[in-house]
Amino acid sequence: MKAALTIEGLEVDFGGFKAVDSMTTVIDDGELRVILGPNGAGKTTLMDLISGKTAATGGKVHLFGRDITNRPEHEIARAGVGRKFQIPSVFRDLSVLQNLEVAVSHEPRVFRNLRLGMSRADRKRIDEVIDLTGLGAVLDTLAGDLSHGQMQWLELGMLITQQSKVILLDEPTAGMTQGETSKTADIILRLKGTHTILVVEHDMAFVRKIAEKVTVMHLGKLLAEGPMQTIEADPAVRDAYLGSGGLH
Amino acid sequence: MSNRIFILGDRAVYAAFIIIVLALPLLVDDVFWLNRIAKYLVFGMLGLAIALSWGYAGILNLGQGLFFGLGAYMIAMSLKLQSYTSLQQGSDKPIPDFMLWNAEPGAPTDLCCITPGSWLWIPFQAQWFGMAMAVVVPVVFALIIGSTIFRLRVSGVYVAIITLALVLLARLLFIDLQPVTNGFNGLTDLGWLTIAGIEFDPFMVATYYIIAVSVCVVLLLSRWLISTRAGLILQSTRDDPNRSRYLGYDVASYQVFFFTVSAGIAGFAGMLFVIVSEFATPTYFDIAFSISMVVWAAVGGRSSLIGAALGAILINTIEASVSESEMFQQAWRLIIGIVFVLVVLYMPRGLAGLARDVLARVVALSQRTGGKDSQSSHTAAE
Amino acid sequence: MFEVLFIGLSLTSVLLLIALGLSITYGAMGVINMAHGELVMIGAYTAVLAGIHLGFNIFLSLPLAFVVAALVGLLIERVVIRRLYGRIIDTLLATWGVAIILQQLIRLEFGLTFFGISIEGLGPGLQNMRVPTFMMEPFDLMGLSIQPYRTFILCVTILLTALTWYLVYRTAIGVQVRAIMRNPQMAAACGIDVRRVSALTFAYGSGLAGVAGVLLAGFRTVMPDMGATVVVDGFLVVVVGGVGSLLGTILSSALLGQINGIVSVFSNDIIARAVVFGVVIAIILWRPRGLFSFKSR
Repeated sequence: MKAALTIEGLEVDFGGFKAVDSMTTVIDDGELRVILGPNGAGKTTLMDLISGKTAATGGKVHLFGRDITNRPEHEIARAGVGRKFQIPSVFRDLSVLQNLEVAVSHEPRVFRNLRLGMSRADRKRIDEVIDLTGLGAVLDTLAGDLSHGQMQWLELGMLITQQSKVILLDEPTAGMTQGETSKTADIILRLKGTHTILVVEHDMAFVRKIAEKVTVMHLGKLLAEGPMQTIEADPAVRDAYLGSGGLH
Repeated sequence: MSNRIFILGDRAVYAAFIIIVLALPLLVDDVFWLNRIAKYLVFGMLGLAIALSWGYAGILNLGQGLFFGLGAYMIAMSLKLQSYTSLQQGSDKPIPDFMLWNAEPGAPTDLCCITPGSWLWIPFQAQWFGMAMAVVVPVVFALIIGSTIFRLRVSGVYVAIITLALVLLARLLFIDLQPVTNGFNGLTDLGWLTIAGIEFDPFMVATYYIIAVSVCVVLLLSRWLISTRAGLILQSTRDDPNRSRYLGYDVASYQVFFFTVSAGIAGFAGMLFVIVSEFATPTYFDIAFSISMVVWAAVGGRSSLIGAALGAILINTIEASVSESEMFQQAWRLIIGIVFVLVVLYMPRGLAGLARDVLARVVALSQRTGGKDSQSSHTAAE
Repeated sequence: MFEVLFIGLSLTSVLLLIALGLSITYGAMGVINMAHGELVMIGAYTAVLAGIHLGFNIFLSLPLAFVVAALVGLLIERVVIRRLYGRIIDTLLATWGVAIILQQLIRLEFGLTFFGISIEGLGPGLQNMRVPTFMMEPFDLMGLSIQPYRTFILCVTILLTALTWYLVYRTAIGVQVRAIMRNPQMAAACGIDVRRVSALTFAYGSGLAGVAGVLLAGFRTVMPDMGATVVVDGFLVVVVGGVGSLLGTILSSALLGQINGIVSVFSNDIIARAVVFGVVIAIILWRPRGLFSFKSR
């Protein structure tokens, strides 16, 4: 299988403290990978490094063979990495439809975007996403007025509209109700296969529902990697989680 | 349904504005008033430029007067050279009068070297050069300033403070460069704009039309700009610049583009203002003037182009109407202060926002059944 | 050289006095108070009016101006700023409106002009504050010519800076102010009455502006729009020094005051101010958070 994301010896040094340290993993095209780890394990920092928010002090990130290490955020995004933040990040003063319209453009440059309206292909893609995320009833609502769950789905929808090949999801179910969590799981499962997805999540019920292969981080390093069942039985993982009561 | 009403209402306001502005000479007989209104239309353009950068890009430029002043000085140099005051010495080569006063004894009476730096004026003997520079110079400065600020990801209040410091810096330099700019006094006794042999006397209906048509064109162009996808992306960078970055947009380039467009409009406005007012002085670089523009836009509605323009026109027209007595003028300034505080506190979307809310209320009342209207108003549709 | 440094030093002290109050209100409360210059102006007018109508000299005017400006500041906080916490750009705009209102109130003599009543010392004209003659005559000290008034300004500035430092770093209320500076929500959660402390802080900062106004009145003409120019200078000092850093404010006023003083000796005042603006812009671009700062609101 082709590798979508290759992380080689990635590290970042915050003045002596290595939040991520010689991290290496390969995520295949179309894979859904869950990253687990106790608080402070470096999961979010890993996403920051991949998406260009934080500059790595060592190591490489390759996206389909192309080196994207330490490129500016928008270039990494253009290369095909989409990112969802822990705190929902949408354009609050724009309507849902406008949010998706911003996401749909494949033209990064100002001058190429000096045109009115949407092409039929763009509209079709947006319609598919609306269908997938179930936001059809609130298209004209300002994003800032959406419920917490809807906001998360909108953000997810924007990543799909953006046609990211690799999607990074940072705790997509944080603060969601049971029902919302289960709908989010459905959306993610439907993306499986067509998108490569990297999820950081604490909700183990949710993880069990979506996970195939799991990577466990501890103190910035790779601790274990493998199918969910193996990981849950791994003594090293149990040790790492002892403080927080093990995987539950 | 209600969205369509908002779009229709919006279009109606634009249409009404353009018709009134163009038909005004038929209603107003007094050329002095027409000249005044032309000035306020120029201020309307400034309000619009502020709305473009502040309302749509979230960039509060407290130094917009810099671009206005640059535009004004560029055309004023050309018009000064066309003035009789530059030909007083019986020479056929124009030399601004103040340069003669400032010249060292024995300096050659030629633009090349009469005062230090006077050579800068040489190309301005061609009026088209001054006109072009009135837009080019502000745009180039805005490009340099904008690229520096936004590439370094300076934002919010710091942009306001830097632009404020820049306009003050420009004010000092223009005052200090006495031999080139005539310092405190600025460029006065200007000639008239001359196009194809026609002299545009500031108190002429044709001159009014130059301003009126320019304002309408700029208004429509700006409206088009913000309705494009680039305009939408710009608004997205205002709401959440990080999200825009992770969607693949280079936020700085959008900010620089619209900052520069706004500056170009301000420079153009400066040029038009000189054509109707016949002077350019360092007061254009006063902080009070730059902040006044923000006041106009805030009162009219920072996120509505036409609202901001109307705010500027309205405030200045009222100000002119009450200015017969010194005391009333002072009282009016007091009222403006109070109104401004109230607008910031209670009406952050200004008159345009108020108009929308009223329209929404009317729509809701007439529909009775649906109650979701006021929520779904499109701020971006303006 | 000493002369040059002394010019810079007296510029520094005036700048510092103005910036001190701003630094507190901006740093502690995240409020850009564009009316700060008008509070300076009110301090100056208090001195002028107290001199004319009450026969106060500068020493009596100083505490009076502090109280008057503090009360005006308290009023501004109650009526306007209280509604705008957390909206920094809006505080800038609203206080600009307040600045216009205050200026016009002085020009219109609180509206009495409309009734044909005129108060000596108010109105649109220029005013002066009398400074005791003994403070205006330079004397020699170890071969150096000392100007008593400038020295007096310097002393008051040092005194007020020390007092401010003491209040912020050595008193219970100072601890609360610093807590609010770092994290207002957490401070509120810890039982600090954020509203009351904020109001007091703002009043204190305003009072300092009033004192600066009295001292300024000693060597500048007093007029309704005298505040407009000083507020910008004050802000540049605060931003360069770093928001919320008392030490930063002191050092940056010294830096900018000295640059201004030295450059003006070698060229002229206009160029000196221009150079200061240039330096300020460069510093903001280089370190947007200022030379000395911590992360805050």
